[in-house]
Amino acid sequence: MTDEEKKYRIKTNISAFFIRFFRYALLIGLSFIILYPIIYMISCSFRERSDMNDPTVMWIPRNFTLDIIKETMQAMNFGETLLNTLVLNIGCCAVQVISCAVTGYGFARFNFRGKKILLAILIFTILVPIQVISLPLYTQFRYFGIKGIFSVNLIDTFACMYLPAMLGNGIRSGLIILIFIQFFKGLPRELEDAACLDGCSPFSTFIRVMLPNAFSFVVTAFLFSVVFYWNDSYVSSTFFTNNQTIGLMLKNLDSQLSIALFNNANVNISPREQIVWMQAGCLISILPLLILYCYLQKYFTESIVSSGIVS
Amino acid sequence: MKKRSYEKRKQLYGYGFIALWLIGTFIFFIIPIVKSLIYSLSDVNIGNKSMVTSFSGMKNYYNALFSDRKYSSVLWKTLKETLWKTPLIIIFSLFIAVILNNKFKGRTFFRAVFFLPVIIATGPVYSIISGDMADTGNIHAEQFSTLFSNNLVGELLQFLGIYGITEKMNDYIILITDNIFSIVWSSGIQIIIFLAALQNIPTSAREAAEIEGAGAWDFFWKITFPYVSPFILANFIFTVIDAFSNPSNAVMKRIFEIRSDLNFGLAAAMAWIYFAIVFIIISLVSLISRKMIYYENEEV
Repeated sequence: MTDEEKKYRIKTNISAFFIRFFRYALLIGLSFIILYPIIYMISCSFRERSDMNDPTVMWIPRNFTLDIIKETMQAMNFGETLLNTLVLNIGCCAVQVISCAVTGYGFARFNFRGKKILLAILIFTILVPIQVISLPLYTQFRYFGIKGIFSVNLIDTFACMYLPAMLGNGIRSGLIILIFIQFFKGLPRELEDAACLDGCSPFSTFIRVMLPNAFSFVVTAFLFSVVFYWNDSYVSSTFFTNNQTIGLMLKNLDSQLSIALFNNANVNISPREQIVWMQAGCLISILPLLILYCYLQKYFTESIVSSGIVS
Repeated sequence: MKKRSYEKRKQLYGYGFIALWLIGTFIFFIIPIVKSLIYSLSDVNIGNKSMVTSFSGMKNYYNALFSDRKYSSVLWKTLKETLWKTPLIIIFSLFIAVILNNKFKGRTFFRAVFFLPVIIATGPVYSIISGDMADTGNIHAEQFSTLFSNNLVGELLQFLGIYGITEKMNDYIILITDNIFSIVWSSGIQIIIFLAALQNIPTSAREAAEIEGAGAWDFFWKITFPYVSPFILANFIFTVIDAFSNPSNAVMKRIFEIRSDLNFGLAAAMAWIYFAIVFIIISLVSLISRKMIYYENEEV
């Protein structure tokens, strides 16, 4: 080995070391920022509220307790809320993914008159935030029906979440449809023609040939949709007058807590001590999502990245 | 002859497939959006069976812009914040995506961590988290944020013997370090999109660059950047819309307050003004950037 080669090798080794060092330093630092609230949540939910005033307690609680979690669960009426949320969310998500897949397939694989305008409307539905139309939507559901003939009050029923989801207009449906359009466009045309020659109608082609191909994709879309619905508090607060979903419960946790826990005037809780319950509420609300995420993490990250959602 | 009927049938089937969406969009999008436009142009009162509206011209818009002090100041602040934060989020997420695209030990773990905000960041959990970090009287959160908000960067620069940096530059650095939390937390989906884009860079381009002897720096600007450029636009639009439709957005909060006072016409007008501004910004940016974007397939 010549001198020059040695020098070169040392140089590259040193620079590689530095790159590696900085990469890890940066990633670990940023990961800390992301994980901080979650660690904090866990740390807070298992401590007694007096620990909040103890300056020596940073992460590890001095008085370990499960009472806070229990109290928060009781205040949030957790069992019932969770069941409600599951029925509402999982059902809506399943329905939404199906309707979006069908619509996406229609847009991706068929040519029909007015397609361009309809696609523009689809983009528009993504751009317009729900806040702009939520009030008319409310009246829509309040007096659902045909004007002058009949009308039903659908507010506070599951229908006002299920109906839009079923008809491809649930929470962020536009985005999911767009993703499906991209995916179905990528499948080879021959699949369809072959199925047609074999005597499949387009609809059974869709169910028998296209959907099985899109399986991992449907799972990903479903996960996204679960996240959108789970975290929503705006849409549900528009349509539900009493707290029914986890997102809503969490949003009103403040008042919820004061009703359930501190109803007697003698209890004096400082805002700092109240954080304990807030964090506990956060923790138990995202726990189902976190478990789902840990379990399907590989699906979630790898399949999104490799399927090339956005092309 | 036969072919045409096949095509025609296919057209019908196309309508069949999108029929559900078509009905839904009409009922849950077109009608409400038209109604909301009408509300914004009228005095709205709650009637017996439905809303009673009487046309009042641009009064609501005028009131929103010139009478409601709070709205206009909040609007201005939020727009400014969106304008400086969006580029930062995009640069940051591109940077992280490039790092996460390399092979190294623990990549799966870090990817999982960086995508985590996607799951949490849109909901009420985030408002509790970020609220706790900033304004509640929480001692630990203060400790944490002083870690960043003390002029740490300035001190570092001084320590390195760099004194000449202007006040303004310094302010800007502090602005970034102060907001690192919200930037990191709102760039989950953007990182995913960029990662997907990076994976689509053909290996031939990579090899060609290697043979030509391109360094990492050249490689980024001449290969990575052009391939990723369409996604920068997509991410820009996504980030702006995300910030804009977030319920914890100050403008949206104000609109919600107005609505709770049953002033529906004014609330609708405010929402429309905000939407119009954001829409104009998005279309301007996409028009300008259309020339700078490199497309692999011209037809896209």
